[in-house]
Amino acid sequence: MTRSSDTGNGRPLRRLAARLTVLGMLCLGLLVLYFFLSRVYPFDWSVIPRYKLLFFDGLKMTLSLSAFSLGLSVLIGLVISLARTSKVQIAREFGAIYVWFFRNMPLLVVILLVYYGVGSIVMIDRFWAGVVSLAVFEGAYVAEIFRSGIEAVPEGEIEAARAFGLYNSQVFGSVIFPRAFRIAIPPLVGQLVSLVKDSSLVSVIALGDLTMRARQVGTQTLATLEAYIVLAGVYLTITSLLSFLGNCLERRLKIP
Amino acid sequence: MDGIHKSFGSTKVLNGLSLKVDQGDVVAVLGRSGAGKTTLLRVINYLIVPDRGSVTFGETGVEETKEVIRKIRSRIGFVFQGFNLISHMTAAENVSLPLRKVKKMSRSEAMARAQRYLASVGLGDKVSSYPSQLSGGQQQRVGIARALAIEPDLLLFDEPTSALDPSLVGEVTGVIRRLSEQGRTMIVVTHEMGFAREVANRILFLEDGVITCDASPKDFFAATDPSVVSYLSAFATA
Repeated sequence: MTRSSDTGNGRPLRRLAARLTVLGMLCLGLLVLYFFLSRVYPFDWSVIPRYKLLFFDGLKMTLSLSAFSLGLSVLIGLVISLARTSKVQIAREFGAIYVWFFRNMPLLVVILLVYYGVGSIVMIDRFWAGVVSLAVFEGAYVAEIFRSGIEAVPEGEIEAARAFGLYNSQVFGSVIFPRAFRIAIPPLVGQLVSLVKDSSLVSVIALGDLTMRARQVGTQTLATLEAYIVLAGVYLTITSLLSFLGNCLERRLKIP
Repeated sequence: MDGIHKSFGSTKVLNGLSLKVDQGDVVAVLGRSGAGKTTLLRVINYLIVPDRGSVTFGETGVEETKEVIRKIRSRIGFVFQGFNLISHMTAAENVSLPLRKVKKMSRSEAMARAQRYLASVGLGDKVSSYPSQLSGGQQQRVGIARALAIEPDLLLFDEPTSALDPSLVGEVTGVIRRLSEQGRTMIVVTHEMGFAREVANRILFLEDGVITCDASPKDFFAATDPSVVSYLSAFATA
């Protein structure tokens, strides 16, 4: 009983051809759009390169912000998902309330609450306020992704490991987590892409991320749309790279 | 095991069941579904904790201290109805998992032993196959190799052939038959009458959580107990 390893439609070459065709048509459409826009909006691209350092600065901020909160949110997600699947009632309740709170709160409000709320009690750096806000917010979603992965592990596999005398921690490490993680990869990658995009909201606490830098460039040069087009391109590149890495990881860990 | 009681909610599954199995016994457990056969097997290694009653394994009581339970589990091989192989591990990794994690063998030592036991059930060439690449019969033989590799004092089989295609039953019962000839102590829950008759030296009949008949195969199939007779006749007509 060998399963087909390729679940996609058709051969890879044909798929690539189809994708290139659609992309080509999309580019053509955008060019047409650009052409009509340029009749009413005086595009001036010459100023953008002069501000590339500012963009670069924003890129660095967005990347480090995303990287830290990404790591932290996965950690939080793991802990909360463990709490939600725990045998201990108190832990389950805690996990449920955590998820309820952060999934029902706009990220913008979380950022403001952390920066102005926590910030008024203890000195908190803007950057860390941003990292913590993003991490606790996305952590709630990551927790739900991990939980569904954990609950999808077949009961029989867990029972078998227990029947042979493995400790609960060993059952988790050898049987539950490797399987749950594989199940969780696709939605997890989607969530991490969301995190990168959501990080644009930190500009409300005057963190100089990509979005804020693009707005600065726009207001300083009046080349507003140009700056935002660059901004869109950069985000698209980062998130596409992330998705690509996620796909690679998924394929690498795939169970035959 | 003595005076075992177990209920799930308001359903009494085991009703003061007592059983003694001696070394070298091959015990087949028969009974209608819901009679408590599967629960009986799981109480032996405390996968299910009984409400009342005690289980003794060798000289040790299976108490509720984690270490004792773990020790005893490491001496009991369990073969499941649904195979229960770990799907992200190869056949050899499946067999070596308890060796490495519970018996604390090194990876290479465990893998070598896993290969030996896989070869002994006729799967020497499937060492690095994943469960999804194996047929049901092959998966169950990996399950048996996993149970054998811990070199157990007792083997428990929970309907090892019920989930199999009829055409694949033979390869699994063949392996189990060979094990019984080696004088291993086994408890087999099964619906395969012919197999039970051939392999076992004792047949238990379970009804409503108690053993209503404990006899040699010869006596069992000649039994006059009305519930046994009706159970057997259901098979005769099936």
